[in-house]
Amino acid sequence: MQHTPIPGAAADLDFASRPGVPMEHSPQPLPGARVPILPQRSDVLVFKHVGRARFPPVFGTAQPPRGLSGLLRKQAYRFPDHLARHWLTLMFADRVDVWEHRLRGGLSWGLPVLGVLSLSAWGLRKLTTR
Amino acid sequence: MRALTYQGPFRVRVEDKPDPIIEHPQDVILRVTRSAICGSDLHLLHGMVPDTRVGHTFGHEFTGEVVELGSEVTQLRKGDRVVVPFNISCGGCFYCQRGLTALCENSNPESDIACGVYGYSHTTGGYDGAQAEYVRVPFADVGPMKIPDGMDDEEALFLGDILPTGYMGAEMGEIKGGESVVVFGAGPVGLFAMRSAWLMGARRVVAVDCVKYRLDFAERYAKVETLDFREVDDVVLFLKDLFDGRGPDVCIDAVGMEASGSRAQRMLGLGLKLQAGAPTVLTWCIEAVRKGGNVSIVGVYGPPWNLMPIGTAMNKGLTLRMNQCNVRRYMPHLMGHIRDGLIDTKGIITHRFPLEQATEAYHLFANKQDGCVKCVLTPQ
Repeated sequence: MQHTPIPGAAADLDFASRPGVPMEHSPQPLPGARVPILPQRSDVLVFKHVGRARFPPVFGTAQPPRGLSGLLRKQAYRFPDHLARHWLTLMFADRVDVWEHRLRGGLSWGLPVLGVLSLSAWGLRKLTTR
Repeated sequence: MRALTYQGPFRVRVEDKPDPIIEHPQDVILRVTRSAICGSDLHLLHGMVPDTRVGHTFGHEFTGEVVELGSEVTQLRKGDRVVVPFNISCGGCFYCQRGLTALCENSNPESDIACGVYGYSHTTGGYDGAQAEYVRVPFADVGPMKIPDGMDDEEALFLGDILPTGYMGAEMGEIKGGESVVVFGAGPVGLFAMRSAWLMGARRVVAVDCVKYRLDFAERYAKVETLDFREVDDVVLFLKDLFDGRGPDVCIDAVGMEASGSRAQRMLGLGLKLQAGAPTVLTWCIEAVRKGGNVSIVGVYGPPWNLMPIGTAMNKGLTLRMNQCNVRRYMPHLMGHIRDGLIDTKGIITHRFPLEQATEAYHLFANKQDGCVKCVLTPQ
């Protein structure tokens, strides 16, 4: 069964009314664009993939690389992103990252518990050897 | 501030993290007023996007109020309400100057396949997203659009992603008037693609999905015919038969890399990770569309590769068009459509959650429970 279309159907039938036609328009800066763009300054380690000639002026600084996963990511960014090993190393680093965080989280309660157990065992041994 | 954070595949939680700061003179800081959960956030949640780091905050579809301005920002004032495109675009590079803001070369050092995107891993620049109380917005004079007085934030919210993405999906189908259009995926992007296909003069629009309530919703919201692909033996043959034995003129893939429908594709892509997700819908689009037809891809796929029938596409003489949406160029036009009542954006919101309950919201959305079509978080 065919349905009645929505109100306003064919309102954008004319290609001229469609914002994405043609896909590429003649070059012109968008309103608000400022050239040249001042470079962002940051102490955070941010990787640049090797296919880029220069570092872009603006970038994100969330979750800097650290630990073993950070080393793996550093290695991954040595490969250009048209090679599968770039992406596969990153995916592996992602899994390592998760386990690193779980271990770190575990240490925060695991170490005190281990300390208490060790002390208890030591105390018990002292008492029983007297 | 409070923010949703990624903790590993299938795990997110809300926790404290430092407030964002102005890092560049063209930045602003927004107090987030609405932040949607997008279907593509589920690819992050499921660990499908490379370089998604633990602690990352998702959220690329949002509205907010300006609370802090960089020294070079001239078009915005404190207190302005804005909706923000998910692409982070400078407005002046080679690509932005040609309208291709999704390809901006000044916002992502870490990959050449996309520009910077809020809350979408370090593959898209390492920017924290807006499923949080505050968010940093670069190039603030270029991307954000002020929300007019009299329009509430939720009406404008989807201008940041799914509405322009759905519209661009239909537009890339090159509908000239009178075409048959099949939209795979009756999620939020698919719904807007269906509405947009009507706006461009389609003769017949069919939604394909396997989630019954979503097909019912599409029938009501977008006035389309529906097909549950699990109820037919072969969806490609069924669609060919439905359209004079040739197939539809246009197929739109609004699903992307986590499609159902093929155990083999899911095992290879989602289970064994031997390809980037399951390109089942893309394969169906290529096989079902008529010879010489158009396939438009707005569902998200990732690197490094996928098994898809490129030989079939070549021999059928298909036009394949695809891209992340160049959101900024669609916003004014679609804002007009919202104001004229041609598109009811709020009509697809089925659930609202405070930020503190974001984990439950993800669970509900990912598992398609309680008739969920679109979840919106309300951080404030």
